[in-house]
Amino acid sequence: MVIDVKIVGKGSVHEKLLMGLVGVVALIFLLPLVVTIVNSLMTEKEITWNFTTQLTSFDLIAGIKEKFQQIKLIPQQVSLSQYNDVLLNQPAFLLLLLNSLKIAVPVTFGALIVALLSAYGFTVWKWKYKEIIFTVYIVVMLMPLQAVLVPNYIIADMLHIKANYLAIILPGIFSPFGVFLMRQSMKFIPPAYFEAAHMDGANHWQIFWRVVMPQLKSSIAALCMLVFIEYWNLVEQAVIFIDDYTKEPLSVFLSRMGEGWMGIVFSASCLYMFLPLWFLLLGQKDLEKGIELSGVK
Amino acid sequence: MLKAMQKKHRIPSGFIFLLPGLLGFVIFFIWPFVVSLGYAFVDKPINGTFVGFKNFLDLFQNRAYRLGLTNILRFIAISVPLNMALSLGLALLINKIKRYKELFSLAFLAPLVIPSGSMVFFWKALFSYDGAINGFLVNVGIGKVNWLDSGLALLVMVIIFIWKNLGFNMVLYLAGLSNIPRDYYEAAQVDGARPWQAFRHITFAQLAPTSVLVLIMSIINSFKVFKEIYLITGSYPHESIYTLQHFMNNMFSSLNYPRLTTATTVLVLIVVVFTQTLLRLERRASA
Repeated sequence: MVIDVKIVGKGSVHEKLLMGLVGVVALIFLLPLVVTIVNSLMTEKEITWNFTTQLTSFDLIAGIKEKFQQIKLIPQQVSLSQYNDVLLNQPAFLLLLLNSLKIAVPVTFGALIVALLSAYGFTVWKWKYKEIIFTVYIVVMLMPLQAVLVPNYIIADMLHIKANYLAIILPGIFSPFGVFLMRQSMKFIPPAYFEAAHMDGANHWQIFWRVVMPQLKSSIAALCMLVFIEYWNLVEQAVIFIDDYTKEPLSVFLSRMGEGWMGIVFSASCLYMFLPLWFLLLGQKDLEKGIELSGVK
Repeated sequence: MLKAMQKKHRIPSGFIFLLPGLLGFVIFFIWPFVVSLGYAFVDKPINGTFVGFKNFLDLFQNRAYRLGLTNILRFIAISVPLNMALSLGLALLINKIKRYKELFSLAFLAPLVIPSGSMVFFWKALFSYDGAINGFLVNVGIGKVNWLDSGLALLVMVIIFIWKNLGFNMVLYLAGLSNIPRDYYEAAQVDGARPWQAFRHITFAQLAPTSVLVLIMSIINSFKVFKEIYLITGSYPHESIYTLQHFMNNMFSSLNYPRLTTATTVLVLIVVVFTQTLLRLERRASA
């Protein structure tokens, strides 16, 4: 008992130091996020002033030879004008945001359904070679995206969906990652649950809905988040499949915004990361569980 | 009628659940991959003639390909061990803290969910030649450094990778740490083991399976840093960060499917051999 108190007492000073250290590192990690949010509240004039390095004639008179971009953390004047401008005066922004939604939402729902059904199939199917099929799923899962681009392109060409979001959406729905994650999660359901339901005369469809689904709530949330984030952040496929600028997802367009639309780039970035960050705040526990499950053999 | 019902019973219901997903998986991944293999052995995409393994020999002669392959391997060799060490260190620190654990995890997970596009302007403002870091360096009298257009670009790539992926690995390590029984440490303390010995023989040894998985996940995620690099520096960045993905993307844009498929095939072989080795390593680590 005495020893316990000693450890706790010693730990608290120690712990404060540790918290300080971890806190500083955490702040460094949050800095890009904080900068983006704070800068989105500046006026467009201030943004242009901070990030333009071309010398004006006034600079030359003042003897300034070179200018650097300035990252400031405190706005001279807090203003929502950037948001106003992006949402009201830039119809392209909402259009491209909608494009991102048109891709990410169907992939998320489709992948969830396919993953749940397939994982249940893998769990209850008793066939001695099913693990070989599952290994193929894992190998495809581990491939970098570039390795599946050619196959994706070939099948899109054959199905005549090349110029269509379906070329991106369909492979996303059938991608093996969700199946893997859901199968891992189903391993944690005690087999006795299945047996009991079977004894009660439940068929597979009933077991799937009444026994499996309620147990998987947080895995389902994690899968939805991970898939949504992945496709919300679509870059490679968009570069390959989408030639029409009006059909691009926002991710690719944002990278070019710095040139012509510098004044509103931060508010656009903030609006774009709002959904994933909101999901993280809502479902941090679930996401952590999802990441842990991806590591459980 | 009766026959149909009997037949229906013979199909295992597990297979019926799997079927739609499996069908899609074969249609969108396996089958087109097999079809694409054909390109690797012909000289041009349309009406090509069979050339055997010539494409493979040519590929390894190609300077851009060799550069891309060497660069991505070098990037993995630097960034993955660094990320593993840092995330393990951080997990050990956070594990000792009792309060605000969730808040810290949140801070480190945030970069993972932020879309790459949202950060492009920030990274550019930080690292470009007229960027904020150079402004600071000039002010303190060091002078300008060409971060994105010199060998230092690799460093920038490593920094962005660690920023984005530290949280993911940290969560894996935290889970691994929470699975180590506490009595192990108590027993070690009773036996008079030093903290370093306890770390090496308990923490490190018990985390071996987690470490192998962190390694696998890190390698998968190391391919994904291409998103940021591509958005910041475009199709033809500085030589030190021209990766295999740049090469494959550019081959795709120039419609050179035979070369691209050959590169894909080699990549698939590398990944398969690598995963096999890692999974074997993992089995040994868990045993």
